[in-house]
Amino acid sequence: MKKLSYLLTFTVMILVLAACGNSEATGSSGNSESDSEGNGPIEITYWYAWGDKIGENNENLVEQFNEMQDEIHVTAEFQGTYDELHSKTQAAMAAGNAPEVTQNEIASIETFAKAGMTQDLTAFVEEDAEEIAMDDFNPGLMGNSYVDDKLYGLPYLRSTPIVYINKTMFEEKGIDPASIQTWEDFQSAAQNLTDDEHVGISMPVDIWFYEAFVAQAGGEMVGENGEITFNGEGGVEALNLWKEMVEAGTMRVPGGEPQQASDMARQDFATGRAGMFFSSTADLTLMLQLAEENGYELETIMFPENEQRSVPTGGANLVMTSGLDGEKQQAAWEFIKFMTAPEQTAYASAYTGYLPSRLSAVESDTMQDLYKEKPQFKVAVDQLQYGNARPMIEGYPEVVKILTEEIQRLMLDPSLEAGDVLDQAAERSMSAIK
Amino acid sequence: MRSVKWRPYLFVAPAIIVFLVFFIQPIFYMIYLSFHDWNFISPDKTFVGLGNFKELLSDPMFLEVIRNTLMYTFFTVLFSISIALLMSIWLNKQGWMYSFVQGAVFSPHIISLVSIAMLWMWIMDADYGLLNWVLSLVGLEKVPWLTDPNTALSSLIIIAVWKNIGYFTLIIIAGLQSIPKHLYEAAALDRTPPWRRFAKITFPMLSPSLFFLTIIGILDSIKVFETISIITKGGPLNSTNTLVYYIYENGFIFFKIGYASAAGVILLVILSILTLLYFKVLSKRVHYQ
Repeated sequence: MKKLSYLLTFTVMILVLAACGNSEATGSSGNSESDSEGNGPIEITYWYAWGDKIGENNENLVEQFNEMQDEIHVTAEFQGTYDELHSKTQAAMAAGNAPEVTQNEIASIETFAKAGMTQDLTAFVEEDAEEIAMDDFNPGLMGNSYVDDKLYGLPYLRSTPIVYINKTMFEEKGIDPASIQTWEDFQSAAQNLTDDEHVGISMPVDIWFYEAFVAQAGGEMVGENGEITFNGEGGVEALNLWKEMVEAGTMRVPGGEPQQASDMARQDFATGRAGMFFSSTADLTLMLQLAEENGYELETIMFPENEQRSVPTGGANLVMTSGLDGEKQQAAWEFIKFMTAPEQTAYASAYTGYLPSRLSAVESDTMQDLYKEKPQFKVAVDQLQYGNARPMIEGYPEVVKILTEEIQRLMLDPSLEAGDVLDQAAERSMSAIK
Repeated sequence: MRSVKWRPYLFVAPAIIVFLVFFIQPIFYMIYLSFHDWNFISPDKTFVGLGNFKELLSDPMFLEVIRNTLMYTFFTVLFSISIALLMSIWLNKQGWMYSFVQGAVFSPHIISLVSIAMLWMWIMDADYGLLNWVLSLVGLEKVPWLTDPNTALSSLIIIAVWKNIGYFTLIIIAGLQSIPKHLYEAAALDRTPPWRRFAKITFPMLSPSLFFLTIIGILDSIKVFETISIITKGGPLNSTNTLVYYIYENGFIFFKIGYASAAGVILLVILSILTLLYFKVLSKRVHYQ
């Protein structure tokens, strides 16, 4: 009996020690696993955000890549929203098992690059200059790729916000969607659409849309030296427009947690309660489907102009994580090249509604045929000439949260002054950007 | 015989090692991080001394977070225990109906919190939710349960109470059934009125169960995370942001690990003080037979 208990204790001890040793070993030499296995393909992992059509698109492209060659095998994994994807990537980096390729929402490119989590891709691009053809990427989409003049990400699933319009409702009220050019046109269309059962537009407090309006009013979110400027003239003017529309009852702003609020706005539009709706162009395929199910015609138009026409771009760039060995880096680079090539960007655009990120893809037959068949897809591409980068300063996610909160405060209590609310948000943001 | 001395240590070694590696080491690492400015990944951690704590305590948002957490904890525990007490006195009888209701009340306890959160998000939806539909049937106005800063925290408390009651009731019923019958018989002989019987026999005899429920109720509520992460993300206007969600948000969304660790240390201190308080002060007042 005694002997047995000794034996048992030692077995347990050895197992515990072995487990400790093992986890350390995988941390440092896990990357070389594939070398020792010999001729199997190099395994890399790719993480992406969003499900539904967007998720299917990611899975399909990865499958195409895996079937096309047998040197590299990519496993695609779904990770939720951008925020969730970012925090999981970060945790995985700290734990030493990050995916080789992942997405950065474009405003986070700098944060990840400065933290040393993503790989500088400049050398890869120089080596492959001809194949990658950087000139072919739409210049409007390149603003969020460089940090300190070094390339950290390539445009992948990129978008701009566009205005979705319930054409059937517009026709009933005798409004021509094409007439909406300026803020006044937009406001009066919303006014004409509003009655006891309908509202002009349903819009969640989303800083992406706010960025659009601030730029249209000639303002800036963040100045050249990274200082907060959204409480300047342009920012106040933009918020005053929203405030006026909320007070007039022509704009509904659902409250609550951001994702939920945006779902509610979508629901308002899908069920025909709201005549207009802002959303990413990536939603187009889904919205067309919803419009058909609910029996109305869908049209899309550009954001209205004020001082100027301007929209932020959005979506995600593909990045490579740092600290990979040469072989994995090469494999990851091959995969990134494939995913951002003209043919794939055309495929992704047609499948989801995201922008074709390459100029040559816009000219391709696939896209031209699509624009003929579904002109709604063309708006975002046309609008891209007015596209701007998103602010990339470190701490921007927190600024976005603070600003959302302060604007929500105004939406709940429109007796507040737009200027005061924005000053308050700017002051609170100081500690976030430091 | 000498070999016997080290044997006990060998036996507890696996447990102690696991305890040190997975419980003690992270706590000390968190305390270490709370004195630094770090983004989780960059090789250099800047030492900032008490900077994170100073910043935390001067941040009005953090004070709001503490206030929310305490309000949430206090009302969740108060309502959970008082409703469960009433329920158990009512349900502590024989009969198929009573056991059926007992089972029904207990069922929320075995459902995953994530599913519960999704369910209540729909029930409390301002436009399409079940609750507001019921209110509209009886002619009452719609309540913006989760989307108004004045009602959101209360709504989350309702959800927590709903979830807690079943388990709490079960524990209290078990407590009630273990009270010796002869005490009540003696009281009946003395013609003690019912409320006195409750105050002098039932309540003191239940106090170990109630004490236990208060402890786990408070520890559980102070650490609330799932429902907040899924339903409100701390909003609207920070009105439902509680300590653990605040820590998560700063650490994993804003990449401020030092700052988040400092908040974690404060949570640790609060929990330690509460635990000490229980065992030093409250436990003396609990009546064990």
